[in-house]
Amino acid sequence: MNQTLLFLIPLLPLCCAVLNMLFGMRLPRLFAETLAVSGVAASFLLTLLFWGYADGDGTRAVLGTWLAVGDVTVPFALHFDALAAPMTLMVTGVATLIHLYAVGYMHEEEDYARFFGLLNLFVFAMLAIVLADNLLVLFLGWEGVGLCSYGLIGFWYQKTENARAGTKAFLVTRVGDVFLAAALLWLFALTGTLSIADINAQAASFTPAVLTALTVLLLLGACGKSAQLPLMTWLADAMAGPPPVSALIHAATMVTAGVYLLCRLFPLVSLSPAGMAAIATVGALTALYAATCALAQREIKRVLAYSTMSQVGYMFLAVGAGTVSGAMAHLLTHAFFKAALFMAAGCVIHLAGNENDILRMGGLFRRGPRELFWVFLAGALCLAGVPLTGGFFSKDGILLAAYTQGTPLFLALWGIGLLAALLTAVYTFRLVYLIFAGEPRGHMHPHELPLLMRWPLWPLALLGLGGGLLNLPTLVGGGEWLSHRLGPLAGRVLTAAHGTEWALAGLATGLVVLGWGFARWRYARFRGEWDNRASRFLLHGWGADALVDRLVVRPFAAIAGLCAIGCDRALVDASLDGLAKQTTACGERLRGLTTGRISTYLAGFVWGFLIILGWFLLALVR
Amino acid sequence: MTTMATALPQFPWLTLLIGLPLAGALLCLLQRRSAGECRWLALATTLATLAVSLWLFVTHGDGQSGWLLREDAAWIPRFGIRYTLALDGISLLMVLLTAGLHTVAVLIAWPEQRRVPLFMALLLMLESGLMGVFLAVDGVLVLFYLCWEARLLPMVFLIGIWGEEGRRRAAVRFFLYTLAGSLAMLIAMIALYLLYAAQTGAPSFALADLARTRLTLTQEYLLFGGFMLAFAIKAPLVPFHTWQPDALSESPAAGSVDLTGLLLKTGLYGMIRFAFPLFPHATRNSLPFLAALALLGLFHAAWNAYRQDDIKRILAYSSISHLGLVVLGLAAWNATAWQGSILLMVTHGVVTGALFAVVAMLRSRTGTRELAELGGLWGAVPTLSAFFLLFALASLGLPGLANFAGEILVLLGTFRSQPLWALLALPGLVFAAAYLLRLVQGMLWGPAPAARGMMADLTVREWLVLIPLAVLTVWLGLYPAPFLAPLAGPVQAALGGLP
Repeated sequence: MNQTLLFLIPLLPLCCAVLNMLFGMRLPRLFAETLAVSGVAASFLLTLLFWGYADGDGTRAVLGTWLAVGDVTVPFALHFDALAAPMTLMVTGVATLIHLYAVGYMHEEEDYARFFGLLNLFVFAMLAIVLADNLLVLFLGWEGVGLCSYGLIGFWYQKTENARAGTKAFLVTRVGDVFLAAALLWLFALTGTLSIADINAQAASFTPAVLTALTVLLLLGACGKSAQLPLMTWLADAMAGPPPVSALIHAATMVTAGVYLLCRLFPLVSLSPAGMAAIATVGALTALYAATCALAQREIKRVLAYSTMSQVGYMFLAVGAGTVSGAMAHLLTHAFFKAALFMAAGCVIHLAGNENDILRMGGLFRRGPRELFWVFLAGALCLAGVPLTGGFFSKDGILLAAYTQGTPLFLALWGIGLLAALLTAVYTFRLVYLIFAGEPRGHMHPHELPLLMRWPLWPLALLGLGGGLLNLPTLVGGGEWLSHRLGPLAGRVLTAAHGTEWALAGLATGLVVLGWGFARWRYARFRGEWDNRASRFLLHGWGADALVDRLVVRPFAAIAGLCAIGCDRALVDASLDGLAKQTTACGERLRGLTTGRISTYLAGFVWGFLIILGWFLLALVR
Repeated sequence: MTTMATALPQFPWLTLLIGLPLAGALLCLLQRRSAGECRWLALATTLATLAVSLWLFVTHGDGQSGWLLREDAAWIPRFGIRYTLALDGISLLMVLLTAGLHTVAVLIAWPEQRRVPLFMALLLMLESGLMGVFLAVDGVLVLFYLCWEARLLPMVFLIGIWGEEGRRRAAVRFFLYTLAGSLAMLIAMIALYLLYAAQTGAPSFALADLARTRLTLTQEYLLFGGFMLAFAIKAPLVPFHTWQPDALSESPAAGSVDLTGLLLKTGLYGMIRFAFPLFPHATRNSLPFLAALALLGLFHAAWNAYRQDDIKRILAYSSISHLGLVVLGLAAWNATAWQGSILLMVTHGVVTGALFAVVAMLRSRTGTRELAELGGLWGAVPTLSAFFLLFALASLGLPGLANFAGEILVLLGTFRSQPLWALLALPGLVFAAAYLLRLVQGMLWGPAPAARGMMADLTVREWLVLIPLAVLTVWLGLYPAPFLAPLAGPVQAALGGLP
C-alpha cells in the first residue's frame, strides 16, 4: 500500500471540517453531524488499518513542499512511529466518542455547522502535532489547536465572558508559543534542518549550556499549551466552552500536547540534566498547586479543569524523571477517564438544568439515572488512583520513577507528588459526594438522557478502569506492553527492588484511603462549604489572575497608552503641529511687510542696498 | 545598453502596464461618461492590466536573475535621460500585487456615488503611477521620481474629496509629509547626478551608471540619508509614521486598500532597488540602526494598535507593525530573510487589503468605525464575519495562512545572521494576537447593540471581492512556492552585489 495514504488520517477530518464550515448550514442537520462523526471515525479505523506501519522505525510520508528557499526546505511530511501510533489511536478514538456525545449534547444548538467544523478542524490540528515529521508542521498543528480552542471556548459568543475566556486562552498559550518558536529558530540555526529525527540525532553535538537553554525554551512552550506553571491561568476559564469541547480539548488531547512535544524531543531533552530537573519541578509543583485549587472550586467543570492541570503535571514529572513510557501511559489512561468524567459532568449539568455549582447539586444518586453514577464513579476512582484502576498504575509508575532517581531534588518532588495524590483523592471524592450524595439542594430535572449522551461514556470509563493493562508492571505479572512497544523511545528503564515497589504502592493506597476518609467525613452529609480566606484564596487559584493582571496586563495597557497618547499624539504630532504653526506664524509676520505702502518698500530697498554696499566694502578692505 | 539596442524588438509589455490604466483614466475623464460606464470601464481596465501581469508572471516567474524584460529608448539625450523600464522577479511580484489589488479597489469603490468618473480616473492614475514606480528601475531615476510623485496627487485627492470626516487634515498631512521626503530624495538624486557627471563627464541618470560613482563615506551617508528619508516616510518607519493612521482611516475604502497594500510597499521597494545598491557602504553600516528602527516600530505600533478605538486606525497601526518585521528581514541581510520579507510584503498587501475591504463592507452596514459601538456581528452577518476572522487570523500569523510563510522565513533567516534581533522580534507574535483578538472580540463577539437593525449578508459584488482574496490567503499560506520562485535570482544578485 502507498504510504502517502497515511495522510488520510489527518486530512479526512480536515476535509469534513472545511465542508461543514462552507456548506454545513445549507445541509440537513443530520448530514452535517454524520459528516463530522464519520470523518473522525474513518481516521480511527485507518489508524487501526495502518497500525503495522508504526513498527520498527516507523513510516515517513511526504505530501509536498511547503516552504523552499535556498537551503531551507520544509515539506509537508508525517512520521507514523511507535510513539505517534498509540497517540493517534487515542486522539481519533476518543474524538469519535466525543463527537457522538456532542451530537447528543448539542442537539438543540442552532449553529451546529460552526461547532462541528471547529471540532473536526481541531482533530486535524491535533493529528498534525502528533504525526508531524518536522517542527514547522508541528507548529502548524500547535497553533491550529490553539485557534480551535479559542473558537470553541468562546463558542457561545453572545456572552462576552465566554469570548473573553477564549481570547485569554489564545493569548496565554501564545506566550508559550513564542518560546517554542524561539527553540525552533535556534534549532534550525544549529542544525540547518527542522526534521525532528535529524534534530534528535544531532542533539548530542550541542554544548550542555545550549542543550539546557533549548530544553527550558521547549518546556516553556509546552507549559503554555499544557497549562503548567506559570502559564496555567487560562485553563480554568476555558471551561466556558461546551462540555464536549472541554472533554476533547481541555482534558484528553490538546493539554497533553506539551507532554507529547517533550516526549517527541526526548532524545534532545534528556541530554540536559538541569533541563530535566526543571521539567520535573514544574510538573510536580503544578500537580500540587492545581490539586489545592481543585479542593475549593465550586463549579463542577472547574474542579475537573484543575484536576486536569494537576494530572498533566504528573506527566511532566514523568518526563523529567526520564520515563517516556510512564508519561505516555498516564497520558493515555488520563485521556480516557478524564474524557469520561467531563462527559458525565456534561450530563450532570444537563440534568441539573444548566447548573454548574456543585454546592447546589446533590442527591443525584437517588434521583438521577443510576448509569450516570457508575460512569462518574469509574472516572473518579481512576482519577483518585484507587488500586487496580488505570490511574493507579500510571500514577504509581510516575512516582516510582521520581523515587528511583534518588537525588534529593527528585525525592522532594516525589514527596510533593504524594501530597498531591492525597489531595487528589480528597477533591475527587468531595466532587462525588457533593453531586450524588444526600438530597438535592437545587432544582433537578430528572429525565431520560438521550442515547448518544449515555453510551459513549461506557467505553471510555472501561478503558480508564482497564488502562493499567496498557503498561502493567512486571511486579504484578504484567508485560509492560507500552514500554516494549515504544522500544528505544521509552526512556529510562525503571529498576527497583520488589520490596520498594510494594511499599510505594502500599503508601499510595494508604493515601487514597486517607483522602477518601476525609472527604466522606466532611461531605457525605452536606454541612455547607467553608468560606474563609484560605478557601477563597484557593478558589481564585492562589490569586494568579490578579497577579498576572497587575504584573502583565496593566503594565501592557499602560505602555500602550503611553505609546498612543504620550508618544504619537503628544510628542510626534504635537511637534509637527508646532512646526506647522511656526511656519504659519512666520508667514504671518512676513505678510506684515507687504503693506502695499510705497514708503515701506522704499525703506526696505534702502536697507538692503546699504547692507549689500557694506558687504562689498568689507570685502574690498580685506 | 548596446546589447539591448541589438536585441530583437519585442512587444512593449511594460509600457502597456503603465499605459493601460492611464488610457482608462483618460477615457473616464475626457468624454462625459455616466457613472455606470466609468465603473465598468475602470473594471475592464484593471482586469486587462491584471491579465497582462498574470501573463508575465506565468511566462517569466521562474526565478532567473537579471532583467526579465527591458524597454529602453532615448528621451532627453542632452542630460543623459533615457526612458527605460525593466522588470525583474521582485518588481514582477509588485506589479502583480498592484494589478490585483486595483481590481479589488475598483470593486470596493463600486457603490461610490459622488463624482464617479473622477474617482475612477484617479484610481487608475494611481495604478499607472505605481506601475511606473515598480518598473522604472534600470534606466532613469528621473522616470522613477516622476512616477513617485505621480502617485502622490491622486491619493491626496482621493483622501481629500471622498474621505471621511477628518479628510482635509489627513490629506494635507499626507501631502506635506510625503513631499518633504520626496524633496530630500530629489536633492540627493541631483547631487548624485552632478557628482557622477563631474567624475566622468558623461551625464547619466541610469542606475547602473550612478552605482559606479566614487563617493566618500560622508557623501554616501548624506545621499543615503536623503533617499532613506523618502522611503522611511513612505514605508512608514517609526518615527516618521504619524501621517499614516490619519491617511488610512480617513481615506475612502478603495484608497485605504491602495495605501496599505501598495503605496507603503513602494517605500520598501525603493530601499531594495535604489538606496541599498547605490550606497552599499552606508547601507552596510546602518543595518543595525535600521534593525533598531524596525524593532521599535514593530512594538511601538503594536502597542498603539492595542490602544485605538477606531477599527481603521487599529488596522493602520497593525500595518506599521507588520512592516517593522519586513524591514527587520531586510536589515538581517541574508537570502532567506530577504525572500521572506518580500513575500511578506505581498501577503501583507493581500491580507491587510482584504481586512480594509471587509471593514468597508461592515461600515456600509453599521455606519460606524468605533469598536465600542460594534459587537455581536457574527450573529447578524455570519459570512462577512467569517471572512473577517479569516483575514484577522492570517494577519496575526496563523500557520497555514498567508502571513506566516513570510514571517517564518524572515525569522529563520534573521536568526541565522542576527539571533538577538530575531529573539527580540518574537514577542511580536503575542502583540499581534493581542490587538487583533481585541479587534475581533469587539466586532464579532458579545451581545449585539440593541439599536441595530437587520443587516444583509454578502452581496454578489462583495463575494467577488472576498473569494479571490480568501483563496489567495490560503494559497500563499500553504503553497507560496510560485511566489517565492521569481525572487531567488534577484535576491541573490542584490545581496551578492554588495560588500
